[in-house]
Amino acid sequence: MRVACLLCLLAAAMAVAQERNFISCPIVRDTKTVPCFLAEYEGELYFLGIQQDITAEFHPPQLKHEVLVEGRVSEGPRVCGGIPLKPLSLSVMKEVNAACNGLLPAEPGIEAPPAARGAGPASHRLAAPAAAPASLSGSQEFTVLFAFDDDYVDFAAIAVVRKAAAYAKTIGARAVRVMGYRATTVLSNGQRLVEKSALAEKRAQDIATLLRGSGVTGVSADWKQEPEAGDGKTDASHRRVTIAVNP
Amino acid sequence: MRKALLIFAIPLLSAAQYQDNSRLTWIEPGTKETLPAFDEFGNFLGKLGVIQASGTVDTAGHPFFTPLGTNGRACVNCHQPTYGMSVSAEGLRERWRTTGGKDPVFAAFDGSNCPDLPQDQEKSHSLLLNRGLFRIPLPWPPRNADGSARPVEFSIEVVRDPTGCNLSSGYGLKSAHPMISVYRRPRPAANLKYVISGAQNIVLKTGRLADRDPETGEPVSMNLMSDAREPSLATQAIDAIMGHEEAREMPSGKKLQTIVDFESQVYAAQVEHIFAGPLVDPEGPFGLGPAALRDRRPGVLGDNDFDPVFGIFKSWNGKDFYRASIARGADIFMFRQFWIRAAAHINSIGLGNPIKRTCATCHNAQMTGQDLSAGWVDVGTTTYPTWTEPGTWADAADLPVFKITCKKDADPHPYLGRVIYTTDPGRALISGRCVDVGSIVMQQLRGLAARAPYFANGSAKTLREVVDFYDRRFDMKLSETEKDDLVNFLGAL
Repeated sequence: MRVACLLCLLAAAMAVAQERNFISCPIVRDTKTVPCFLAEYEGELYFLGIQQDITAEFHPPQLKHEVLVEGRVSEGPRVCGGIPLKPLSLSVMKEVNAACNGLLPAEPGIEAPPAARGAGPASHRLAAPAAAPASLSGSQEFTVLFAFDDDYVDFAAIAVVRKAAAYAKTIGARAVRVMGYRATTVLSNGQRLVEKSALAEKRAQDIATLLRGSGVTGVSADWKQEPEAGDGKTDASHRRVTIAVNP
Repeated sequence: MRKALLIFAIPLLSAAQYQDNSRLTWIEPGTKETLPAFDEFGNFLGKLGVIQASGTVDTAGHPFFTPLGTNGRACVNCHQPTYGMSVSAEGLRERWRTTGGKDPVFAAFDGSNCPDLPQDQEKSHSLLLNRGLFRIPLPWPPRNADGSARPVEFSIEVVRDPTGCNLSSGYGLKSAHPMISVYRRPRPAANLKYVISGAQNIVLKTGRLADRDPETGEPVSMNLMSDAREPSLATQAIDAIMGHEEAREMPSGKKLQTIVDFESQVYAAQVEHIFAGPLVDPEGPFGLGPAALRDRRPGVLGDNDFDPVFGIFKSWNGKDFYRASIARGADIFMFRQFWIRAAAHINSIGLGNPIKRTCATCHNAQMTGQDLSAGWVDVGTTTYPTWTEPGTWADAADLPVFKITCKKDADPHPYLGRVIYTTDPGRALISGRCVDVGSIVMQQLRGLAARAPYFANGSAKTLREVVDFYDRRFDMKLSETEKDDLVNFLGAL
């Protein structure tokens, strides 16, 4: 029993040790194809992703801003010189920081992974706008995710709103309940960051407005004033608005 | 040597070969003319072609050509076929000389630096004559459609006021009806099916609902005007008639519809290059000339290598020196990579900062080179330190300078922070948002040779200055040949 508990603790410690939650300046490394985005933490370089299209899952950070990195060390070789993190959530800090200006030239031997789109014009058509999956039925919940301390409804979030709106209209939903949350992020150094107090309401109201403006009726909005607790692992998934669509 | 010859040759040849053949060099309001279905107008880089897709147009009694207000102006004052349905600073100077400043285009309300200046003096109209800029007085704080004040995320101070209008007791920020005067170029009233296409219910760049056409209830492109303040051609016409024409009564629905119908069928583009010759070539790129604008479908994304913004110029890479130059310019526009950095509403919408891309990343709408999404961007033409204006202390500084201070609870401008100096806050004067300070709606790139100067604030006197601005702003490291090629390409549009 005691051995089992020790193993549990060890496993938990190892799992925690794989999380990398930190704030730092991003670094952009040019390559002969698309640039890589990296960040340094405690003397180690981490690979965040490469430049892609607005439709891609990864949205790069920004020079002139610090970035909140919430990721997990991934198996496999270094990419662009950095340890890959996956899953990964990035939040661009709002205030300008002129010190975040690291742009490195391409170097022989450092290559970006293959990109769906190069640095020039696209060679393929963009994916069609998302529609509600035909297979859905009954009550459904859609989740819109946000960056830390941010109410910006980005491309991915717009896609979720569109899906939810399309589904609600398809089934003639009688009630669409929007619930807004704000959250806590636990950094790897133990620091806890709590999103600003009015954010849950703002997120909920904004999403409700988008749904109503998309022709959805029966929309109500509520929000949880208290921030979601952080665990250093799943914090990014708590910065959200849920859209419950009920027939 | 050849380049030197070109530089000296252009003025001589343009004067000799490209004088206006049309009778309609300047159309005065209220005159009786017949606009042909196709007309050509000479300019310094060749000839502009203008198509009336509905056939000939009689101007007599037509509300686009007839004064509807009190100052003698009509729409045509600022939207002349000769100048690509806009008006050039050179054309305005000629008009001043011809009329002694009496043309209604110089009306005190917005054709002068400020209405309370002595109107008979040329210097009172310096922004219009030197930069082609009309005064745009906007209420402060901004108003919603119902007249209520819109929430504002920043305070605004007048740092420099060369025109006197922003500190004027009658027209300024502290007047009885607080106004901010900015100065902007009139946009072409042509090729508009492209400008109003691409509407999305939710605006990609803001994550907010698009404005709606009050008549149809449908979302609009938000690509009209420098600040997207008017949702439709009809509301824009009302704004112009009640403002620029100083009307006391709303135009009738019939007149509005006639104006919108007229604007919706005008297509303008360069048809001939001074050295490359005719630009419309069945074997060449599909995008040149006004007929292509008339015939092609709007709302097409051109930031790709299979259906690019202005077509494929490959067949022009032959022996003809100037066609080859235009083709190389098109290739630079589509394919020449550089770091696009710190451009609000481009880098800040999830693409990353910087991104290694091309001109066509932002100028992505096929046929016009606007942004297919609602396209306001702070590329830095109006904001310090990237603007090209003289120092704020310099006597030569002729635009007002505003200091914007963002409130603590507002999101700051993504690259300029919480204190911003600008000659035109742009979209922020409508939205009230800090992130929009300095953002100007992207313009269509057609008929450029006919309507200098460029950028919304007329800060680039020539196409070369446009290219130089981007070269500096984004450290493109363009060679002299590449700059020439880009100028030839832009001049061919």
